[in-house]
Amino acid sequence: MANESTRSKLAARMTHPVSRPLAIVYRWVDERMGINDLLYKTLYEAVPRRGAWAYTLGSATLIIIALQIVTGMFLLWSYVPSTTEAWESLNFLERHNEFGAIVRGMHLWGAYVLLLVIGLHMVRTFVSGSYKKPRELNWITGVILFLLVLGLGITGAMLPWDQAAYWTTIVTTHVLSYFPGLGHWLQEIWRGGNQVGPVTLTRTFAIHIWLLPALLVPLIVVHLYLLRRHGEHGAWINYRGAREEPDGEAAAPLVHAEPPYPAVPSDPGYAVPDDLDEFFPSQVGKDSIVSFALVLLIFVMAVVVGSPLEAPANPATLTYVPTPEWFFLPLDQLLVQFPQAWMIAVGTFAIPGLASTILILVPFLDRSPDREPWKRPQLMVPALFTLLFLIFEALLAVNRLFNL
Amino acid sequence: MRDLLTLAPHLTPVSISTGVAVALVGVLMLLHIQFAGFQQGGAMLVTLFDFLGMVRKDERQTRFAHGMVKSMAIAFAFGGALAIFAVMILFTGLWSHFWVKLLRIMFWPLVIEAGAFALEIMALYTLYVGWERLGRVRPLRIGLGLVLTIDLFVQMLMINVVASYMLTPVGAFNLPLLLINPTLIPLEVHRLIGNVAFVGALIAIVAGVRMLRARTPEQRSYADWMGAVGAATAISFTALQPLVGWEYAKEIQLHAYASWYTMMLGGLSVAFLFQMFLLGLILTAGIFYFWRRVRTGGLRSPTLALCAVLSLGAWLLGSTPASLAWSYEQVFAANANVPIWNGGLLIPFGQMIPWKLTALVTFTFVSITAVTVFLREVSRDHLRWGEARRHQALALITMGVAVSLIMALMGFIRENGRGPFLITNHMLVNQQQNFRPPANNGPALGGIPAGPSLILGG
Repeated sequence: MANESTRSKLAARMTHPVSRPLAIVYRWVDERMGINDLLYKTLYEAVPRRGAWAYTLGSATLIIIALQIVTGMFLLWSYVPSTTEAWESLNFLERHNEFGAIVRGMHLWGAYVLLLVIGLHMVRTFVSGSYKKPRELNWITGVILFLLVLGLGITGAMLPWDQAAYWTTIVTTHVLSYFPGLGHWLQEIWRGGNQVGPVTLTRTFAIHIWLLPALLVPLIVVHLYLLRRHGEHGAWINYRGAREEPDGEAAAPLVHAEPPYPAVPSDPGYAVPDDLDEFFPSQVGKDSIVSFALVLLIFVMAVVVGSPLEAPANPATLTYVPTPEWFFLPLDQLLVQFPQAWMIAVGTFAIPGLASTILILVPFLDRSPDREPWKRPQLMVPALFTLLFLIFEALLAVNRLFNL
Repeated sequence: MRDLLTLAPHLTPVSISTGVAVALVGVLMLLHIQFAGFQQGGAMLVTLFDFLGMVRKDERQTRFAHGMVKSMAIAFAFGGALAIFAVMILFTGLWSHFWVKLLRIMFWPLVIEAGAFALEIMALYTLYVGWERLGRVRPLRIGLGLVLTIDLFVQMLMINVVASYMLTPVGAFNLPLLLINPTLIPLEVHRLIGNVAFVGALIAIVAGVRMLRARTPEQRSYADWMGAVGAATAISFTALQPLVGWEYAKEIQLHAYASWYTMMLGGLSVAFLFQMFLLGLILTAGIFYFWRRVRTGGLRSPTLALCAVLSLGAWLLGSTPASLAWSYEQVFAANANVPIWNGGLLIPFGQMIPWKLTALVTFTFVSITAVTVFLREVSRDHLRWGEARRHQALALITMGVAVSLIMALMGFIRENGRGPFLITNHMLVNQQQNFRPPANNGPALGGIPAGPSLILGG
């Protein structure tokens, strides 16, 4: 870890303005807002040294969410949430706006990459047992964030009001009607009546740009606050607990621990990583490289592949085959497997609902102190089955849809 | 040479009865499937255990991976010879019409298949011969194992393209549709899982036999550990089969209804019922092993006991026939389409929905639970390797033999479900032996021109 003088130099380099007038302004603002202190708190923190590249996924998620907000704001300048003009406005953006197609493409590919990165981040957290005491709430907020991003994905897919969007809206709002007891009521609320129409699009738009982000942003703040409060856990390879050393030796690092370690209450063997590194510049550097690579990937995909815009919505068509977004393929396939109509609620609500609840409750289901994956088969084995199940379902769905 | 050619019939197949041809090819291919399955599942386990051995510094896992490579190299010699014999002698000699047509349609998948076969030889024998030397750079050896795994995955995918096309050739005018036909992915997933389960079962058999014949504590300990690995692998992967098998059957129902009917309600329904019986036997024997092995370790596990009871119940339910006849046609013919207690031939508890479906769902959840509980006890070091009893070894052998049988049976059902076709709706089995090529460019496959234009997607 760096000493105080190193920190001061780094902070000075970061915060020193380029000219005297700016320095005066900066000092004036800093005296009132405490920017230097904030930067210290934000940038200087001990993080586990080993496995650092795996810990970049969280910050990459944050950067891509920021990218989604920015590209979304640009799209709002042109998009008109009306059944008669939504498609037209996006068609104008795609064909007549200089950078419209790229921005729209980045919003789409950003969503795809975001889901992948969040998924990987969750897998990393799960495998390393980072959800354990005292980080249970980090995990719970993370799972809720993932579900919210899924919600943003599906509502976003409905907005272009092309054939794909229209039939996605039809299917999604129809599936809602199978919710036991409240189904038709919920469907009417979303659709704004019995049929999909202008009100449906307006409400979906409101959910996409207001309701879900209004839940997402505060949760991100809470997630980051909790991360800072308890520190990055990393993986079992950083801890003495994994090596089953005597209590006395395991407790020794506690004496020399740097903030935010030890996170309290913690299992002694996993309270303080053996070898620490600076968040800035070491971890920030790695985070920046991964985030930049992902943003570059999103940009390249936006330019090369772009974002499809099918023909305008046509409720009278008899030939269009609706296909779900790739991240809903397992759920789509699950529906097909239920042989009778009354069972659809099992595939659409019971199983996904149960799976989401179990996912949220993971920290309370696995209360053993072990962090190594092979010492936690009670969770790793069902999780592996679930992952295999999701992959197989997605593959089977692709095969089925390809042959429709 | 010229004399020989003039003496040869005009490229007609060797004159032999259809029944004998079917039997010869059938037996050979069922054997080949077992060898190929062993290679494919084995490569995955070699790579996994070599990796685990490195990460966990566990010599036993490395030894296991090495043992698998040696077994694969020996098995490959025989399995490869079978495949070559099948292609060079049986297909070309007995079913040349079918083989030439198939080769013209499936040219590229079969070329890739042959290429993957060549790569398999190089990768497998390099691992076999250079295991110790490659061990000096462990990631390299693991990487080579990964190459072999991917290669065998591609190899199986290509042959599944052919096999699934023969069952559901729905996109014959469009090359991508022809390759990615409705049953390709379900078959691929089904066999991928099945192959790993099969290897686990073979390991369990070997471990069971070794347990019974072990003379030293070290031999007993290793065999006991190997048995646990085999059983956990076999049961874990078999647990997924009901779901994937259901999906596979659903696609067959949608795209090759006659085959589906034959398998589920027609002449092969008895074979299918026997398959349910074997599935129940595999899972019940495996779960029984888990339960008793944990008990031998001095632990009482009510969860495992409950799993064993539930599995037994699901086995009985799943194996109950739907009627007291070979097929539904016989039930209808006898005008006995009512339950047995009303004087008919139907047994309502043998119906697929909801009873067999309930049994399948129970199998899945019970198996996953049992594997999880067993591995939890293993991870807590509650089992001392080498303590396994004789009846546990017998349970492992029973489970392994049942998996081997079900592999052969599934191949038999799949290949005979198409009957009387070799390629559904396009080519009959009995067209092979009495086929005479016409003078023009060759007959169409049921009206489908099978030539280079099709291969190129034209």
